[in-house]
Amino acid sequence: MTSALLSLHGVSRHFVKPLDLVARAAGRLGANLREEVVRAVDGVDLSIKAGEVVGLVGESGCGKSTLGRVVAGIHEPTSGTLAFRGRPVPRMSREERADYTLKVQMIFQDPYASLSPRQRVGRIIGEAPDVHGIWRRDELDDRVDEVMLRVGLAPALKRRYPHQFSGGQRQRIGIARALAVAPEFLVCDEAVAALDVSIQAQILNLFMRLRADLDLTYLFISHDLGVVRHLSDRVVIMYLGRVVERAPTAVLFGRPNHPYTRALLAEVPRMDLRHRAFEPIRGEIPSPLDPPQGCHFHPRCPHALPRCRSEVPRLREVAAGQWSACHLNDVA
Amino acid sequence: MARPAAATTPSTAPAGDTRSPLRRIAAQYAESRIAMLALATLSAVAVIAVTAPLIAPQNPYDLRAIDIEDGRLPPGSAKLSRPADVGMTVIIRDRLTGDRPGYDVKARGRAGDAPAGALELRLVAAPDGTGARRFEMTLVPAPAGPLDPLRNAQLRGLPRGTELSAGKKDRFRNVWKLTGEDVRDLVVTLPASAGDGVRFTLTASGGTQRHLMTYWLGTDDQGRDMLSAIFYGLRISLGVALVSVLIALSFGTLVGLYAAYHGGRADALIMRVVDLQLSFPTILVALILLAILGKGIFNVVLALVIVQWALYARTARGVALAERQKEYVESAACLGLGPARIIVYHILPNCTPSLIVIATLEVAHAISLEATLSFLGLGLPVTQPSLGLLISNGFDYLLSGYPWISVSPGVALLITVVAINLVGDELRDILNPRLQR
Ligand SMILES: Nc1ncnc2c1ncn2[C@@H]1O[C@H](COP(=O)(O)OP(=O)(O)OP(=O)(O)O)[C@@H](O)[C@H]1O
Ligand code: SF4
Ligand SMILES: [Mg+2]
Repeated sequence: MTSALLSLHGVSRHFVKPLDLVARAAGRLGANLREEVVRAVDGVDLSIKAGEVVGLVGESGCGKSTLGRVVAGIHEPTSGTLAFRGRPVPRMSREERADYTLKVQMIFQDPYASLSPRQRVGRIIGEAPDVHGIWRRDELDDRVDEVMLRVGLAPALKRRYPHQFSGGQRQRIGIARALAVAPEFLVCDEAVAALDVSIQAQILNLFMRLRADLDLTYLFISHDLGVVRHLSDRVVIMYLGRVVERAPTAVLFGRPNHPYTRALLAEVPRMDLRHRAFEPIRGEIPSPLDPPQGCHFHPRCPHALPRCRSEVPRLREVAAGQWSACHLNDVA
Repeated sequence: MARPAAATTPSTAPAGDTRSPLRRIAAQYAESRIAMLALATLSAVAVIAVTAPLIAPQNPYDLRAIDIEDGRLPPGSAKLSRPADVGMTVIIRDRLTGDRPGYDVKARGRAGDAPAGALELRLVAAPDGTGARRFEMTLVPAPAGPLDPLRNAQLRGLPRGTELSAGKKDRFRNVWKLTGEDVRDLVVTLPASAGDGVRFTLTASGGTQRHLMTYWLGTDDQGRDMLSAIFYGLRISLGVALVSVLIALSFGTLVGLYAAYHGGRADALIMRVVDLQLSFPTILVALILLAILGKGIFNVVLALVIVQWALYARTARGVALAERQKEYVESAACLGLGPARIIVYHILPNCTPSLIVIATLEVAHAISLEATLSFLGLGLPVTQPSLGLLISNGFDYLLSGYPWISVSPGVALLITVVAINLVGDELRDILNPRLQR
């Protein structure tokens, strides 16, 4: 644990939808109204070593993006702590905090919404290093060129606006913007999901090349099991805000432990692992507003036991490096 | 599982559109003929407003430039130079001695702008049996002189009971009015009661009048050129509207952004004030404010700002909240940029299209509002006549045969407001992200 670049201990992030005036008044009068709480991330433990690529997989709405944002410092965790280089964020000094903010960068899913339409590309990339004094004014231009070349953009394009670029190029701009502040850790939130398949491959290759060149560490969020299998050293499976299984990639794909993981893998046609966005398993994914008691997966689990309904399974190491949260492991 | 080789060569830009957002908007705007026409009209109005003192045919508020005798002239009337005039005191005394008995005539105390010698006064005694004294009086302007042809003359202060062979006596005052024709050969019969030494004043005017200017839109009751008055009125109306919109826009945007960024109680409080403000009819609020504050250009601007800021605050907050959700704002936070910087450099530029559209339309609104207030007599003082005041001034004459006094500033107001609205509508269509191509 001590060698971890970034670690999460029991990190939760809840979203509360406050009651409006009418609902509060109705509540006074005895109506049974509660504030709606979404436990988007619920007690996640995870540690990521420097240089590692961790894949984060789960169905839509299970809290992957929220977890990514907590890691990148965009959302504060509701509870639990996040530590960067062994220093818990709340106990950091201002300088440490600023350093952590810059060292962990995020690449967003939507290449259209993630670039301000009214800034030129050169400014988008150069603003943060300029403001933080990472680059001197007089070297700004050359540095922007350098970063653009690194991500495969012609520096001549820096006077243009984002709308003049294709999706793949915009994603490269987003990557360049992150690289400009010399990060060590990139959170890629479905960074290629919005792109054409051929472009996806280019961007994924860019990520891997950057990893080799810059010693980057990745938290790679994806729907796409094939992509995750190809890129990741380790895979984390989330279900309704909780981690249900995490294991080295080969182990997870070879000997999946958790019934949910097994269901996910079964859904993926073997011949075309890469581009198959998985379909949900039997049954609807429950509402995150009102998740099932006990093991969140029990309404859909083919092996559900009586205790699964009431008792939350803990993550346990079931094999070397393979952790799974399922009561079946206690029985065995 | 092999992947395609990395794309190491820098990808080139997509063909075509290398224009800045501003250029793109301009190009899109130019596609609409009506909008271009409206923009041209608006530009003309703006140029007129700015350069009014230079291009107006008359300074309508210089009392020396306006001639009350030109009051209520219909559109297209000519303004003529004033006729030349002369005034003199005439003294007639019986000449008792000398070889030729008769009358001594003295003309003294010249007045008027015609030079001496422009008018010759001939006085010949006419015999009469009744004992009354009678003269034949003839006024002869110097040929081609400044008083030629003679138009009219007035005799004041003749002894009571004097009879003239032509002309009209004023009903109340001792003034005889004569035409140029009358004074060719006029017979003056003094009453017997008049003693020796009769003294009266004579004024005469005439000469050719020069065409000075045309009152294209007629004149008002003061003899003011309506076209010039409208030029000056546009200047005041547009100025007041622009200044109030700019102040309201800045203040409202600031408040709205603060509310959006701060959230919580401050946001709730500000937005309730905004709701309250917007739920009252603007004209009512403005009327009450001006009734309390009193007239004056500053108070009108203040009232306009007070009734308009809330709209900008609400819009700015709404757009800022929507923009804040977007990933580019999250990314800016992730890059360690401060909240002030994010608001000013990231959120605000993306709010400006909506704010510009509203501000444009609000200029038209402010112009009409100010016109209404001035029309009702609560707006600008008479010394700063906006279009509304001009309409109001002419309103009394609207149904008495002088409709142009009110209608022409009304049409000017209409054209301005419609042009602004057309421009604003087109901008809204172009800048609306949902309709964006
Ligand atoms: N800012 C927010 N306010 C309120 N609820 C939120 C917010 N962000 C996320 N949520 C809720 O938290 C849950 C998890 O959302 P999240 O975006 O993390 O899921 P996800 O796994 O990334 O899904 P997807 O695959 O669709 O991107 C969802 O139910 C979502 O509605
Ligand atoms: S804990 Fe129970 S319900 Fe949950 S996955 Fe395991 S067997 Fe299924
Ligand atoms: Mg997501």
